[in-house]
Amino acid sequence: MMRKIRFLLALWLGKCARLALRALRRNATFFPGVVALKICPDFLGQVDKPENIIAVTGTNGKTTVSNLIADVLTDRGHRVLSNRLGSNVAAGIATTLLYGSSLFGKTRYETAVLEIDERSSKRIYPYLTPKWLVVTNLFRDSVMRNAHPEYIANFISQAIPRKTKLVLNADDLISSRIAPENDRVYFAVDRMETDVVECINLINDLQICPTCSGELQYDYRRYHHIGRAHCRDCDFKSPEAHYFATDVDTTDMTMTVTDKQGGRVVYPLLSDSVFNIYNVVTVAAAMREFGLTHEEISESLGKTKIVETRFNARQAGNVRVVMQMSKDKNALAGSRAFDYVSQLPGEKEIILMMNCLADQKNWSENTTWLYDCDFEFLAREGISRIVCTGPRAKDYYLRLLLAGVPEERLRCTLSELDAPELLEYRPGESVCLFYGTDALDLVYKVQAKIVECAEEAAAR
Amino acid sequence: MTIEILYPEVCNLYGDLMNIEYLRRAVPEAEVVKTSLKTRPAFLDRDVSLVYLSSMTERAQILVRDAMTPHLDALKQKIEEGLPILATGNAMELFIREIQDEDGTKTPMLGLFDLQAKRTMERRYNALYLGRFEDMDILGFKSQFSHAYGGEDVPALFETVRGAGRNPGETREGIRYKNFMATYLLGPLLVLNPPFTRLMLRLIGAGDRPVPFEKAAMDAYTLRLDEFKDPKRGFTY
Repeated sequence: MMRKIRFLLALWLGKCARLALRALRRNATFFPGVVALKICPDFLGQVDKPENIIAVTGTNGKTTVSNLIADVLTDRGHRVLSNRLGSNVAAGIATTLLYGSSLFGKTRYETAVLEIDERSSKRIYPYLTPKWLVVTNLFRDSVMRNAHPEYIANFISQAIPRKTKLVLNADDLISSRIAPENDRVYFAVDRMETDVVECINLINDLQICPTCSGELQYDYRRYHHIGRAHCRDCDFKSPEAHYFATDVDTTDMTMTVTDKQGGRVVYPLLSDSVFNIYNVVTVAAAMREFGLTHEEISESLGKTKIVETRFNARQAGNVRVVMQMSKDKNALAGSRAFDYVSQLPGEKEIILMMNCLADQKNWSENTTWLYDCDFEFLAREGISRIVCTGPRAKDYYLRLLLAGVPEERLRCTLSELDAPELLEYRPGESVCLFYGTDALDLVYKVQAKIVECAEEAAAR
Repeated sequence: MTIEILYPEVCNLYGDLMNIEYLRRAVPEAEVVKTSLKTRPAFLDRDVSLVYLSSMTERAQILVRDAMTPHLDALKQKIEEGLPILATGNAMELFIREIQDEDGTKTPMLGLFDLQAKRTMERRYNALYLGRFEDMDILGFKSQFSHAYGGEDVPALFETVRGAGRNPGETREGIRYKNFMATYLLGPLLVLNPPFTRLMLRLIGAGDRPVPFEKAAMDAYTLRLDEFKDPKRGFTY
């Protein structure tokens, strides 16, 4: 009885906190859950949950994939509860579920799409059994929080309920092996023209056979450990995909997804980046498992758009200003962003301000990730100048020298607002600002300064 | 001159391998040999100036231990003869007595030094580090699941000024015996510490020579040193 009273008190106070924050025009996606979990630590276990829970986790793409799944389901007429506007840790999930429940704790939804932080697995899955868990991929992330991908894979494996069906990336030999006792399907993308065999990245997290520690031979590799491989010493090999993307065409922006039941449908690509190609086949696999037809999924995907918060470009003066987010302290995000931007057409100038300013306020950023990140891509032709800025500017400067960037192309200033003045703004070039996620006010100021400098240069 | 990296297919976390790339840039004539788990280490059969082991996963610690065990006596002899060895991050734990997990499970390691690591996989220790080596300031980062205890007679590599030594209650950090050096500091230790790198270059027989991009490296070192010496700056994350 006391347990029930405590749960209801947590639910009501959580709902009150949410209403109060909403009245103050705040998002209210985290704190109400904190209140609920403080009062009732097993709130996630007690609150009634939708029958169909699709959980989405992984290092990259989980936000985009969960948003796309929610969009497709909504377009097909489902009422979907999701945490798309908020937090993906336990308090965020608690906030979402308390919002989705009645005053007596009964859920008002049949279906939920929940993006779940992989490091929060042990705080969430003991109380919540997703019908499906979609794992986009597992890469090296924050050294301080996530250690290494094998650690995170073990974390998820130990927490995920056995009843949950897994939707896994066959091209990722780390995440595709989680929770081996669970029922599962795989998705994959067929060999692409840009694939290689030898790893060209610094991060290469699966070099030996995970079964026998023998020699792992990649048949092809997209980047890092993503690709298809087999062991030379035992019968281990990449799993066969149930949902397979072929004929990727970035001119027509289409690809074909085939499945083991014989389905074969053309899907729209939402962007030409490899990550987004994976996002579409991931959504197709998850939604087929949910029960939609390929035609329904493809049609609904065609109506959606990816919110390009990580990359956008606009004209200013005679240059194109490119904003490229790169999650701070994340070597893989940096590598992918450097690779993509360095291959954009035309000449480029770059400002690097991916410093973690939150860390800088209280201590000093752990910069070991700089030496896992492929700064070598920034030594490519076509990049005429790189300005390193922010509190860790001198570390970036040294790292770029070691990456083979000629010293005459480099500039360095600790003051972010001084950085735009160190560029040349040659007509027709792109000015690219790489920024982290925790100091957006400052980013927008630097962006405005870049635009101002570009317009002044055009007027001269 | 030959520098040997042991087992880079599994010992490659946190940018540690850039330590050897930094030395290679300083000594372009050096040959870098990469020894895999299934290959006999080069230092057993030929002159090697430095053997390096970097951070790895917990599973890899077992694989590396098993790969090194057949060569344990030869390894001890080489250490006694003064072979320079550098181990960073949890590679240090290869050479201690054992690792004990929270549930009491003990994993025996090579046992060259009488230390026990206590590991808690649910709690990661993250901190900055400021220490001394002879007359040098040493800067670095720690990010680890375990700390080492015991080893009263095991000489330390660094004397801690701020941050944790082998464990948060100790000022002795790492292990130094003759030219064997091991530290829990991870990542590009040599890139972060150009004065220490100059000493390493002398130790491996490269003589007195500048470190690569010396001015840029010293600028970054000096700025970080000022930050780490600032008493108002937090040290544990």
